[in-house]
Amino acid sequence: MIARTRQWLDERRSAFCRSPFGCLVGLFLNRTFRGAADADAGELDLGVAVILVLLAMPGLLVSLLMLEKYGSLIRFLAGQGAFDPSKATIPDEYLFIVLSVSVTGAAALWRWDSIFLDRRDYSNLVPLPLSLGTIFFANFCAILLLAGAFSIVANGASLVLFPIAVVGSRPSLSLFLRFAAGHAAAVLAASVFSFFAIFALAGLLAALLPPSAFRRVSLSIRFASVVILLVLLATSLSVPDLLKRLSVVNAQRIAVLPPVSFLGIARSIWVGASDSFSAGMARAAMMGVALAVLIAVATYAVSFRRSFLRLPELADARPMTRISSWVSPLAFFRNLGFRPSPHRACRQFVSRSLLRSTAHLETLLCFLAAGLVISAETFAAGPYHVSAGRSTAPPVQFLTIPFILGYAILVGIRFAFEIPLDLRANWIFRLWLDADRHDARSVARRVLLLFSLSWMAPLILVSTLAFWGWMTALLHTAIWCASTVVLVEILLVRFRKMPFTCAYPSFQSHSPLIVVGYLFGFYVFKSWVPQFDQWSLLSPINAVWFILLLGGVFASLYWYRNQMLDMDKRLTFEDLSARTFS
Amino acid sequence: MLEAKHLSKFYGSVPAVQNVALTLEPGQVLGYLGPNGSGKSTTVKMLTGLLEPTYGEVTYHGQNIHKDLIAYRKVLGYVPEEPNLYPHLTGEEYLDMVGTLRAMSSPRKSTRIGSLVELFSLWPHRHVTLGSYSKGMRQKILLIAALMDNPDVLILDEPLSGLDVTTVLVVKSLIQALSAQGKSVFYCSHILEVVEKVCSHLIVLRKGHVLAHGPTSAVREKIGKSSLEDVFLELVEDVDVTQIANEIVEVMVSS
Repeated sequence: MIARTRQWLDERRSAFCRSPFGCLVGLFLNRTFRGAADADAGELDLGVAVILVLLAMPGLLVSLLMLEKYGSLIRFLAGQGAFDPSKATIPDEYLFIVLSVSVTGAAALWRWDSIFLDRRDYSNLVPLPLSLGTIFFANFCAILLLAGAFSIVANGASLVLFPIAVVGSRPSLSLFLRFAAGHAAAVLAASVFSFFAIFALAGLLAALLPPSAFRRVSLSIRFASVVILLVLLATSLSVPDLLKRLSVVNAQRIAVLPPVSFLGIARSIWVGASDSFSAGMARAAMMGVALAVLIAVATYAVSFRRSFLRLPELADARPMTRISSWVSPLAFFRNLGFRPSPHRACRQFVSRSLLRSTAHLETLLCFLAAGLVISAETFAAGPYHVSAGRSTAPPVQFLTIPFILGYAILVGIRFAFEIPLDLRANWIFRLWLDADRHDARSVARRVLLLFSLSWMAPLILVSTLAFWGWMTALLHTAIWCASTVVLVEILLVRFRKMPFTCAYPSFQSHSPLIVVGYLFGFYVFKSWVPQFDQWSLLSPINAVWFILLLGGVFASLYWYRNQMLDMDKRLTFEDLSARTFS
Repeated sequence: MLEAKHLSKFYGSVPAVQNVALTLEPGQVLGYLGPNGSGKSTTVKMLTGLLEPTYGEVTYHGQNIHKDLIAYRKVLGYVPEEPNLYPHLTGEEYLDMVGTLRAMSSPRKSTRIGSLVELFSLWPHRHVTLGSYSKGMRQKILLIAALMDNPDVLILDEPLSGLDVTTVLVVKSLIQALSAQGKSVFYCSHILEVVEKVCSHLIVLRKGHVLAHGPTSAVREKIGKSSLEDVFLELVEDVDVTQIANEIVEVMVSS
């Protein structure tokens, strides 16, 4: 019976895949996962399995932590006896909800460009004997499947492990099932809401803006969305506590906002309809989901008509003109103090690529978003007594902010350097750069300093000057600049590539160590260096010692570079692709 | 028979193509020539039904193609100007997808794909993703995709772009063989030598207007030039090419 059912299902699936509609759904799903991965161009193709694992990992890790937190032995040793799961797990349930929103939202943002049909789809599919309705509904069907897949994968581990961790040891099966159902409904609804909210946002922009303008604002909107998702994650500890402390009226106001309202879905299933507060939250959550889905569907239909069907006309229209490089705010710095070609040409190539390539800018903005959120948290935690501040050093929380932002920007750019642009185009560097004479590190260093010092140093000076006077402002800015220069040297100590011209670095045995190194570096830059900075600001004599310390690090790096073999400093192009045909 | 009557396309108030009329009979190879920006691609898009004309119409066997686009596209093979393929699919997967979307039966699809892939020398690379293909190999895939369902009308936009010499010779012969089979071929190209060799009829376009139209030999005789290159220069490019070449050299050698 089972074998016959399986065979019947296989036949149905096979027949569906062989039909034009099924073939299109498969194509759109595959395209969304694989993107426009062009092996020859050096684009990253993670593969479906890796993407799914990456999506599932945060939920799995947090679920494992919950196993430890709610383990009976641990609770017994901590002196915690029986507990009410519907009350005790609210902070953790909220954490799972924001995790679900963030992971699914991040996946939707990552695939933002693939959600809608593009020029490639048009040129390949529209000339074939297919109705436009078939293409429209096939892509819509693929989007629905994708939303389902993202929601299930992002929450899969917690759907199973969280109920086991919390009520697995209880004898009541109905309690287990009720708890599992409440948790599943809340996190899955949160995921669906997040996916369709991003989809609706993209659709709204595509429907309202001309295609060229959409491309331009798209990156800014995605950056803002990443910041919002990170802020949501950061609220995971504070919101449940806040709800307890607020008055009922204020709590009700916050509780109907997504993603807080999704707590109401879980609570409504756990405790039944008796809790009117939770029922109100659940209603708000369901309305949010319905609204997001409706807006997404409507804007998808409008953008299909407005953008996709007009692609041939838009292709013939002239593109928007780019702002003249001399009008650009970076023009002054770009042309300041650089050696003439080919050094200058390489540096201009790197800075322009960083600013214009979407993938590279996305990477940089992700790091910047993380830096902004951590800075905001740090800033909010600081005690400020500005009126009395002119005679004392600024609080360490204030001093930390530029160090966090600087680290995020520099590491973001350093990561972006490893992402290849079209590898087929790097022949120009292979042909004209002398591998023995050309110093790629110098180009990378100047770009890193240009993108950090040029705009952050004046900002730090002005903001410190406003509250703590000239001496403190100058000293703080000087210490930050010196630390940044040393950090740049550390980041580039073994660097010998022209940025963007090499294939992705392969995974090596020491790769995890490098990641740990970056995390440790962040800890040092966020915690120790600002404290040294504050110590230096208390007395200029201290500052001399700190500058000497930085000088020592700098000298060590210089010595290390000097004792490296020449072959380890030689310019390299690691783009050997076995699959390339010429 | 494919026919375009008073075909015009305006982008806002800017005319891309104006009053183009053409007839493509079975067995005819019609060459479509013009410099960049003359409206060739816009015409091709209108002939394939990708773009609706502002004025005029395209008919197939007397019926406006937009009345039943799906039926028209079943008899149409199209090679676009740019080989914009899905890089994550292998060559064979892409062709299989095109066959499925054209509703070809599985055995017919498999046989056609296997034979054509082999004839176009892509057999060893059929399981390699298109992202790794060279430009010429992608062009071959487009040609196979256009030919595999035995279309009656072929619209080829720069079909020889990136192909190696042997394949160019094969495609040139193929076009003549298809013409002998009664297929209608619309051939849009910059390569005058190929157009001269394979096209029985010719249309020369400039700034969206038809400058010359008729059998290739008749157009040549009418202008009084021995080669198509001279005809093209006479009709389209009112520039002295030798003078421009000399000026380029002067700029190169100047200090």
